[in-house]
Amino acid sequence: MNCKAVIIGGSAGSFQVVTKILNSLPRTFPVPVLLCLHRLKHVRSGFVEALSLKSNIPVEEPYDKELLKPGRAYLAPANYHMYVELANRIALSTEDTVNHSRPSIDLSFVTAANAYREKLIGVILSGANKDGAYGLKKVHDNGGIAIVQDPNECEVKTMTQSALQLTKVDFVYSTDQIISYLQKLR
Amino acid sequence: MTELGIVDIREIIRTVKSVHDYDFSNYALTSLKQRLERVMNNYGMASADSLIKKITHEPAFFDVFLYEISVSSTEMFRDPSLWRWLREVYFPEALDKNIGKFKIWLPDCVSGGELYSLAILMSEMGLTDKVQITATYISDKVLEILKNGSYDTKKLEVSEENYKRANGARELSAYYRTDKTGIVRNTSLLANVELRKLNINFDNAPQNMKLILFRNHLIYYNPTQQEKVLQMLHRSLSVSGHLVLGIRERISGISASREFEIINETESVYRKRILN
Repeated sequence: MNCKAVIIGGSAGSFQVVTKILNSLPRTFPVPVLLCLHRLKHVRSGFVEALSLKSNIPVEEPYDKELLKPGRAYLAPANYHMYVELANRIALSTEDTVNHSRPSIDLSFVTAANAYREKLIGVILSGANKDGAYGLKKVHDNGGIAIVQDPNECEVKTMTQSALQLTKVDFVYSTDQIISYLQKLR
Repeated sequence: MTELGIVDIREIIRTVKSVHDYDFSNYALTSLKQRLERVMNNYGMASADSLIKKITHEPAFFDVFLYEISVSSTEMFRDPSLWRWLREVYFPEALDKNIGKFKIWLPDCVSGGELYSLAILMSEMGLTDKVQITATYISDKVLEILKNGSYDTKKLEVSEENYKRANGARELSAYYRTDKTGIVRNTSLLANVELRKLNINFDNAPQNMKLILFRNHLIYYNPTQQEKVLQMLHRSLSVSGHLVLGIRERISGISASREFEIINETESVYRKRILN
């Protein structure tokens, strides 16, 4: 597969999983990784530092219109939506919350799906609401690869189950399977 | 839900420009697309054509359109640490040295979150009579809503929390009342505020501003337009006047970054650089 980006969405129970994924990616991971994880609106710092600790690739909270580069992870900043704009740039937004969330996983996934079409891998992890289900459907509808963490492994199943209800996904994977899938990307 | 393609969006932008002389071509496309789709949904339009027809043939609709596609910015006292800094550091120092009215401008003022927060802060600091606040926007309808004080109930809870974290002197409820339409903010806070329409090119922008609050507006422009807007703001600022951007907004364009220097990294506060 000719992949241009990986996008991962998660909420309650996803932190350990994301940490493990970032810890297992090769230093020269060939594409950018977008992370849209629910977080407290008013706590600006600490999250990106915590994710960076064990990550093999640099993790940053992007500034608006920043260019996406391969081998880096971009975490949606607190209280902003994170979109993928054309020409491989990030666009941030303070538009209304969606499903009570800002960042909204749906919005990040939908805009990434529009930008990357079939060259996108979308992954939905453990979480406590249905945010991300619609976004993952859009990834799938545009020909991208839709992956859902195995609900049996999730600390909170709501998010993955909602995604599975809405879309006939490509893979239901354990964390280890997600990792080995991503490790094969060239 | 209607989905617009790039071709549709370009056609809508072209129509708006040729009929109304408003140029949206340098807006950030992704968020503009979402807002256009929202308008079409709200008005039950199935295709870009129906929107284009309405924009072309119904002059009164255009102001409504400008209102509908504006981003209602977020809660009051967003980023409480900025408001604490303004209260505890910035204003005491800036007003101490100031002679005459201290002029403040809020361009692209949509939901009034920033405007009412600032007015409350000025009132609590006893500075209302020492500042002249100007708030501008492109749509009359938005300005009307600001004037009548109505506010989105959904945003209240977060606003209350923000206000506490911003070391507000009272309770936020001292500044609004609830009636059957929802929340109505105390409009007497805006007694000395000038609210006026300003077109998309910022023609006749206010001048000699000591402070411009422009948080989370640049994000809705593409890099070309960001640079243009920054240059317009630069012209409006007085010597060493200050510009506050959103915390994930940075001035990075080559010419613009020569014209501003950052003085507070955490809160994205810039000072107009004096050019030699």
